[in-house]
Amino acid sequence: MRVSLNWLADYIDLEPSQPEEIAQVLESLGHEVEETERLAPDFGRVVTARVLEVEAHPRADRIRVCRVTTGGEPQTVVCGAWNFDAGATVAWALPGATLSGGTEIGRRSIRGVESNGMICSERELGLGEDAEGILVFDSGIPPGEDLAGFESLTDTVLDLSITPNRPDVMSYVGVARELAAYYRVDYRSPEPAFPLVDARPRIGITVDDPSGCYRFVSREVRGCQVSQSPFWMRTRLRASGQRPISNVVDITNYVLLELGQPIHAFDLEKLGGEGIVVRRAYPGERLTTLDGVVRDLTPSDLVVADRQRASALAGTMGGGASEVTASTTEVLIEAASWDPPTVLHMSKRHALRTEASARFERGVDPALPPVAAARAAELVSGLAGGEALAEVTDVVAREDRLRPVTIDFELREAERILGPGFDAPRVTDLLSRLHLGADGEDPIRVEVPTFRPDLTRPIDLVEELARLWGYNNFPERVPRGPGGGRSVSQRRTRTLRQALCGLGFSESVSLSFMRASEIEIWGWDEEDERALQIHLKNPLRDEESILRTTLLPGLLRVARYNHSHGLDEVAVFELGRVFLDRPHQVLPKVPDQPERVGLLATGRLGGSGLGVTRRPVDFYTVAAVWRALSHQMDLGGWRLEPVEAAGWHPARAARLLLDGRPVGIMGEVHPAVVRRAELSGRVIAMELDLDPLVADRRHWQFRAPSVFPPYTFDMAFEAPEDLAADDLLSATGEAAGDLLESARVFDEFRGEPLGRGRKSLAINYTLRAPDRTLSSEETGEALRSMAEAARAVGAQLRGEL
Amino acid sequence: MESLDALLEKAPTLVKGTSTLDELSEAEAELLGRRSVVAELQRGIGRLPPEERPAVGRAIQEARRTLGNLIETRRRRLETESERLMLASDRVDVSLAALEYQEGYTHLITSTIEEVCDIFIGLGYRVVGGPEAESGIYNFDALNTPPTHPSRLESDTLYLDWGDPADEILLRTHTSPMQARYMEKHDPPVYVVVPGKVFRADTPDATHSPVFHQIEGLAVDENLTFSDLRGTLAYFAREFFGSERRIRLLPNFFPFTEPSAEMHASCFSCEGGGQCRVCGGVGWIELLGCGMVDPNVFEWVGYDPSQVSGFAFGMGVERIAQVRHGVSPLRHFFDNDLRVLSQFR
Repeated sequence: MRVSLNWLADYIDLEPSQPEEIAQVLESLGHEVEETERLAPDFGRVVTARVLEVEAHPRADRIRVCRVTTGGEPQTVVCGAWNFDAGATVAWALPGATLSGGTEIGRRSIRGVESNGMICSERELGLGEDAEGILVFDSGIPPGEDLAGFESLTDTVLDLSITPNRPDVMSYVGVARELAAYYRVDYRSPEPAFPLVDARPRIGITVDDPSGCYRFVSREVRGCQVSQSPFWMRTRLRASGQRPISNVVDITNYVLLELGQPIHAFDLEKLGGEGIVVRRAYPGERLTTLDGVVRDLTPSDLVVADRQRASALAGTMGGGASEVTASTTEVLIEAASWDPPTVLHMSKRHALRTEASARFERGVDPALPPVAAARAAELVSGLAGGEALAEVTDVVAREDRLRPVTIDFELREAERILGPGFDAPRVTDLLSRLHLGADGEDPIRVEVPTFRPDLTRPIDLVEELARLWGYNNFPERVPRGPGGGRSVSQRRTRTLRQALCGLGFSESVSLSFMRASEIEIWGWDEEDERALQIHLKNPLRDEESILRTTLLPGLLRVARYNHSHGLDEVAVFELGRVFLDRPHQVLPKVPDQPERVGLLATGRLGGSGLGVTRRPVDFYTVAAVWRALSHQMDLGGWRLEPVEAAGWHPARAARLLLDGRPVGIMGEVHPAVVRRAELSGRVIAMELDLDPLVADRRHWQFRAPSVFPPYTFDMAFEAPEDLAADDLLSATGEAAGDLLESARVFDEFRGEPLGRGRKSLAINYTLRAPDRTLSSEETGEALRSMAEAARAVGAQLRGEL
Repeated sequence: MESLDALLEKAPTLVKGTSTLDELSEAEAELLGRRSVVAELQRGIGRLPPEERPAVGRAIQEARRTLGNLIETRRRRLETESERLMLASDRVDVSLAALEYQEGYTHLITSTIEEVCDIFIGLGYRVVGGPEAESGIYNFDALNTPPTHPSRLESDTLYLDWGDPADEILLRTHTSPMQARYMEKHDPPVYVVVPGKVFRADTPDATHSPVFHQIEGLAVDENLTFSDLRGTLAYFAREFFGSERRIRLLPNFFPFTEPSAEMHASCFSCEGGGQCRVCGGVGWIELLGCGMVDPNVFEWVGYDPSQVSGFAFGMGVERIAQVRHGVSPLRHFFDNDLRVLSQFR
């Protein structure tokens, strides 16, 4: 809501009225000032002048020759506009004048007639958009005044953002009322007084739908003359962000801004029949609104209709057919109270947010319609020369809405929420300043006027007390909670994240969606868990239409983004939820949404430098990353087994089993996926369920390092290709028993002289006892049982023991 | 014996005159070797009368020790010198980054969340999480948001094609549903912070994203007042933005708090006025929404609003990170450009 301080001064006297201070006060009351705009004339040497004569130009048809005066010797000015005649008061840019935007005006000959300066339009003076004709002043303005000195042109406009709970502040009177409460001064509301004629109204009013229409007031004004509204009104409307149209239409906007009550003016003669009915629209009914759009109506729309058809969308926008035009003489003024949800629904459904709907959808004071209709009638009769009928039609469909609410307010409520100091005198003072009735000591009986629909409960009054007392006048106190901090799994998640960063992976955060084309890239089928997709009901774009069932498309997107910006080595991870089309185990009403950790890397990984050969990533890289994580996270009891899954390399991917339970997959991304993602080389990835990784674990136990010497030796085995190194290590390790300190594969070999399908594994073992030096008998025995255990899993010791 | 004295006299000059370890070895051979005066005297000791032998023997031992010390001292000196020369030739360019470890970086959203949580943990809060795919019941109903409220429209909220339509399954629009979920399961006192993802029906642009992050705070106890809210937020502002910060609260409107406020912190980058990048010259930075928990929320979760009171606040993680570090436009949080990620600390 744009508030002109010049206009505001009609309703409240502010001393001192510094715009900055007013802005600050309004903000402290909860009305954010989005912008403070200073308006000032940016033209010079432009004066008001009376047009004495207007004659045709001897050598041109489209322009005329005028004689104008500021009171002294008349001068000749040539003018191309036709919207005025002799007697009009106009804006005359004298020779040497500067117009808005910097154009300089001189004395020049126009087709043989010397023109002394020019007569200006509103646009030329930067006062408005109107360039159709020149600016014509109201008759009361004398000639010879410097236009730059017009007080109404120097103004400050505050653009207020009013919260949805405060429809009462969406008007000049409402803003004045708020300031009056703060400054402890009075404010003024218009009290319409105007001549009335005794005649029966022509149009009867029927409200068919009391659920949508609480009240409907209509007033008729006869014999109006539609023309331009006066300069002062146009200036005020423009400062408030409204485009002047014609006096009758401008008056409806003026009253809306002044009182907050939207008004509609119908051309009474264009209404079919003798009555207006407020009803729901018929199925298939249509209405062309004032903006020229043909709207298809449904019974969820509420309309103001004549006997034949809908003529306005209730509280939203009028219809074109009954629009007030230049030829209108009989006007019906409508001031009504509409049901907020109904108006909200219509304005959303028709994507039509107007000044009227913005107010009605929040709730307009149902006591206002008669006042606003009278104010509009006063202005129409005064400015458009009409005669207002004395008889007013006021249909109250919902009496209950007109009754003020009373709240019994216990002082304890204030103290409990606001702290000490809110005793009866203070509370009564604050409430009275807010124009609420306050009676009694404790409880205080508070009567809430109908313009404050937001105040229904004691807590609403608590907020009002705090607001007027000043949110920043409360002392500061810092309460302490009982503690709790992070849970085990939150702490372990942090450890996991730090470990990944330590391994050179950067954390990425992606939007939680995926799109159909990304699903195609990975190529999973219906059976796959990743096919348990949940779609958005109201997606805005294809990119954000499906919830992600896996973190990998997002990570691949990150790799792709970086590659396209010339960064070929990408190592990223993400921690986040995926969403699966099945019920959550604990909260069955919402979908399953487990947390995952995913990572992906391309190119080479690890420290780099002069003469450092870095290994391109492959399966062994991701497995090494996992082993490092398992150490950092103290996760034992895991195992990797080969897996074939859509989107993964069929021979270079593994499922991770933790305590025998599958928790995810790691390995190389299928080369076809890599190609489709327009990447190259090997791409490694991992995606694991987070919960089992970060769940509370048994604590690791200290083992004292032995002071006795180790027995270190290598063993080379020949084995079938499909014997997992892990199986051989655990078989031989078990055979070595407690003596085994470490075992590490240091060579894997395939090819000649081994046969097809065979491989050789060389393992370095260290045996050591905690309490003695191992004897040659003991080591010999250990080696023999290790060789035997290897044989049992299919591996032959190469060479002699 | 005269020869021994003469030897001891000339030995220091001889030893100190050596400049390499080889020369020193030659000198050592001359002084203590098989053909040296000392060796000869030693060999001749048997030919002396028995009563002279002990004295001569002692003199010879004395001379050996003296000469040996002399040579050892010189040897250490020469060795040190030779190592110094060798190391000097091994000089590096200390400015050359010949080796770099691969570093990984925590995302700014995460580190901001961790820092804010740490601040509140210091005040005795617990960190909790909650579902991102939520029901309208927790996202709206429990939070005093009526069915007709505009925020429930499809133009604002992303709904999921899932579950019972009556449950209005949606992507939570704020972290506030956890207020209701947590209070439902726990008795007061409640001091929690809830970081997490939230969703809105927005297409990505410079200032909007369909996904962003919030941190919710909730404190419910027996005697919490508006002053506790003010004090807690002022404490947070000082911890997060610097000890000089002041705050101001401006009245605002949220369905689930009353009184409701918007919290601003004094700008950390300017004194107000002028062309400040951070506050635009206003001197204050809008940081978060907050308020006293509405009694309807307490009633919904089964708390007695006449017995407990509390406050809640919700801050945008990207917002406060953006204010502090200037990351703009918003997409830099979600593009995951390594050149951006590597700036995060």
